[in-house]
Amino acid sequence: MHRKRGFYLKLILSLAFIAVFTCFSLAQTFEAVKNQVKVHTLKNGMKFIVLERHDAPVVSFHVYADVGSANESYGITGISHLLEHMAFKGSKIVGTTDYEAEIKVLNELDALYDEIKKEKAKVKADAEKIKEMEEQFETLRLKAKEYVVTDEFVDMMSKEGDRQLNAYTSFDATQYIDSLPSNKLEFWMSMTSDRFLNPVFREFFKERDVVMEERRLGLETRPIGRLVEDFVATVFKAHPYHHHVIGHMSDLRNITRQDVEEYFRKYYGPSNLTVGIVGDVKAEEVFRMAELYFERIPSEPKPEPIRTKEPEQWGERRVTVEAISQPIIIVGYHRPAARHEDDAALEALANIIGQGRSSRLYQVLVKEKKVAIHVECLNGFPGNKFPNLIAFLAVPAQNHTSKECLELIDEEIGKIKEESVTPEDLTKFKRNAEKDILDQMKSNARMAALLTYADVVLGEWMLTFDQVQEIRAITEEDVKRVANTYLIKKHRTIGEVVPEK
Amino acid sequence: MKKQKILNITVFFLFILLCVGSVFAQKGPRDKFVFGPLNPIKMPKAETVELKNGLKLFLVEDHEYPTIDLRAMVKTGSVYEPSTKIGLGTITAQVLRTGGTAFQTGDEIDKELETMAATIETHMDRDYSYLTVSVLKEDIDKALKILTDILMSPAFAEDKIELAKIQQNSIISRRNDEIMQIANREFRKLIYGKESPYAHHPEYTDTGAVTREDILDFYKRYFYPNNTTMAVWGDFNAKAMVTKLRNTLGKWKSAKISVPPLPLVKYEYKYTVNLINKPDVNQSNIMIGHIGGLMSNPDYPALNVMNSILSYDRMFKKIRTDEGLAYAVWGFYGAFYQYPGVFWNGAQTKSESTVYAIELMLGEMKRITEEEVTDEELARAKDEYLNSFVFNFDSKEKIVRRLMTYAYYGYPLDFMDRVKAGVEKVTKADVIKVAKKYLRPEKVQILVVGKKEDFDKPLSSLGPVNVIDIAIPPPPRPME
Repeated sequence: MHRKRGFYLKLILSLAFIAVFTCFSLAQTFEAVKNQVKVHTLKNGMKFIVLERHDAPVVSFHVYADVGSANESYGITGISHLLEHMAFKGSKIVGTTDYEAEIKVLNELDALYDEIKKEKAKVKADAEKIKEMEEQFETLRLKAKEYVVTDEFVDMMSKEGDRQLNAYTSFDATQYIDSLPSNKLEFWMSMTSDRFLNPVFREFFKERDVVMEERRLGLETRPIGRLVEDFVATVFKAHPYHHHVIGHMSDLRNITRQDVEEYFRKYYGPSNLTVGIVGDVKAEEVFRMAELYFERIPSEPKPEPIRTKEPEQWGERRVTVEAISQPIIIVGYHRPAARHEDDAALEALANIIGQGRSSRLYQVLVKEKKVAIHVECLNGFPGNKFPNLIAFLAVPAQNHTSKECLELIDEEIGKIKEESVTPEDLTKFKRNAEKDILDQMKSNARMAALLTYADVVLGEWMLTFDQVQEIRAITEEDVKRVANTYLIKKHRTIGEVVPEK
Repeated sequence: MKKQKILNITVFFLFILLCVGSVFAQKGPRDKFVFGPLNPIKMPKAETVELKNGLKLFLVEDHEYPTIDLRAMVKTGSVYEPSTKIGLGTITAQVLRTGGTAFQTGDEIDKELETMAATIETHMDRDYSYLTVSVLKEDIDKALKILTDILMSPAFAEDKIELAKIQQNSIISRRNDEIMQIANREFRKLIYGKESPYAHHPEYTDTGAVTREDILDFYKRYFYPNNTTMAVWGDFNAKAMVTKLRNTLGKWKSAKISVPPLPLVKYEYKYTVNLINKPDVNQSNIMIGHIGGLMSNPDYPALNVMNSILSYDRMFKKIRTDEGLAYAVWGFYGAFYQYPGVFWNGAQTKSESTVYAIELMLGEMKRITEEEVTDEELARAKDEYLNSFVFNFDSKEKIVRRLMTYAYYGYPLDFMDRVKAGVEKVTKADVIKVAKKYLRPEKVQILVVGKKEDFDKPLSSLGPVNVIDIAIPPPPRPME
């Protein structure tokens, strides 16, 4: 007992020391890196953010397209992600043996597809005619395939050593990543400018099938996948965070190649693209090449922002998914977009209440009461660009229920709303936030992602580093205030996986 | 005459243009790129030290950011768990970290570590246990003190043992919730054998049987400095760091220990068709394969090239790109350091194309053993490996962790360079030779987890079907 008290005292004393010391050394580190970042915007509005890092002869690229599933409307849900898949299919130059001949067949194929759809939509559809057209469709599809050099874009990139060739789509954005040996900068410029200047969405129908398989894999066959889809649909009745990135199956079955082309024209103008490049390159050379290769992409107006806003919630909402599964529970509360001034305080709240082994929730639900095997706070779900959620996810332990977990989560939320957090809690959060940024900065790819994210979503790339100032300024009072502002029962939604009887 | 002159001037300018290269000319993706020399890789100096107590250390300085990381491998593994106490190793590693020390409770450690934004984690795998530390450099002394306490005087507190057991039982109760998890687990059992330590997993009876004495015993059998290999990298002076380690972990007492040899894997090649019926899914999880091999196999470089071609140029292009049948699809002859890996092919496809996809995959396995790969396929696979080789050196962490791993497994420290030299020499003839030698497409085991009544054809069209029951044996009734 005696030793314990001594320990805590020592701990608190050492903390005071640490806090001062850390602010100094880490602040310097962040500032030094920040000063090395260079930015150049092309005449067509495309922005390049470069950080030279000469430790190893490699370079990572991050193309951030400011378009995600939140930009989609009824009938084309899932199109942002489908477009991401199509962006690997090549261009007028890559992926084809004869573009001029190929495009004629692709156009015929699209026209026939429309005819089939029209016939199928009739009240008295002609089954015979549909069958005939479908056979014709398959013949034409195979004819188009004759011009295709299968996966040539991927082949070419991987042959040059692209260790990271990939892309991902979220509710907010579509992001394309590559990592190459650093002497291949110009090759990347050539391939990538061609990719976004003259894309050809060939092999469209088979790729749509692939995306449907992805939906089954990630969402439909997984209880947690089903829960997430229904949960966001319940939380957001108006805002397009309402539908999952993967899209509805019926939309995936009906989206056309023209839909994707229109979507591309609308959202892939150069002013909607931000590129982060981190590694063993010279910024001046990057900018010179960027002008040479990317300035030829004609400028387009920046797309109109999303009109729909989520209205105030009128009462607690609940949604359940029945599955052959043990229970899972998620509770979400509305919070503002990432660029809101309360963001840092919400980060602190999320961390202190539900991130890490010594967080309030883990301490109580997992370690003390043993009602859950896992609990965590998800902040910034399902996206960051628009008002989103601070949410709590709990996985009940065997023979325990979601209800028990929820009651304890509520209790802990109540305590913070009433008593706020301790100075030690805050010190812990601040230090972890900074260490987390530092750890991410070690990777070229992560750094490129951070810079583009900060620039597009937060409004300025500098915030990658400057957000640390905001974090340092957070007080106990701030945390208490945001807890009371946002963690309101009336404004929450509870989602559960319930074991099927 | 005049014409000639203009031509000459044009030629001259063209020549200039070519000389200055990219300054003016835009290159198309198909144009020839002449890549300049890559800046040399700055190979860090790795210090190799063995402390008096036998702890093997690899250290690399990395002064870019003010952090220090550490990773250690302890020679043990879940393969050494007694067959009636499966999970014992995992629980031991977990409670080593959560159960506190002679000086602090586990909760105090959690708090102290998180307060300084540091982590210490422990983990048990099949053929090793590992520990990781990540800390801001100014806190290294405190982190090392905790690590030393954890390794030298763990408390294995009863309440944290109970917690670990609750977690293990909860995980058992949840193990059939995700079909990917079912497929991975059951396929492993098909390959290594149901009771094999390379595939085994705990049941409720195992959890119930584990006592604190068992945990102490497991810990005392393996956790010694002379049984541990460690990598440290970050913002420190190597000499000073060795001194620090000597003053802390140097006090950890060594012991005479003999880690038993790894259990042997006996494999009998056979063709089997297996089904786990899941009426609540609309997509089948397919796994096909047989036993694989070791990384020390001299054919490993050629197998690497074959894997790249089979997985990407064949399976991916055929099953995904051409047919649109799956999002993820793969096929490769797996190899581990010291026990055989698995020749593993997989895909997930809608129920209605299950058997068709399996037939296509079997076809690709067969084809790679029968036809030589093309020049383009060989060039792509080798180029990909060789051109991305530099990424093995893009962080100090990768370099030092690799050294530790090779040392742990008793592989030559330049193993990767040897593989690279091997890959450079691989020919089409080598690829078909190893494919013929190691792949037996006619003797694979097929597992499907899916909804059988929606399959395009009955699974029995592939052969007699063995239905696997995955019901979880209920916990023993408590004593009345």
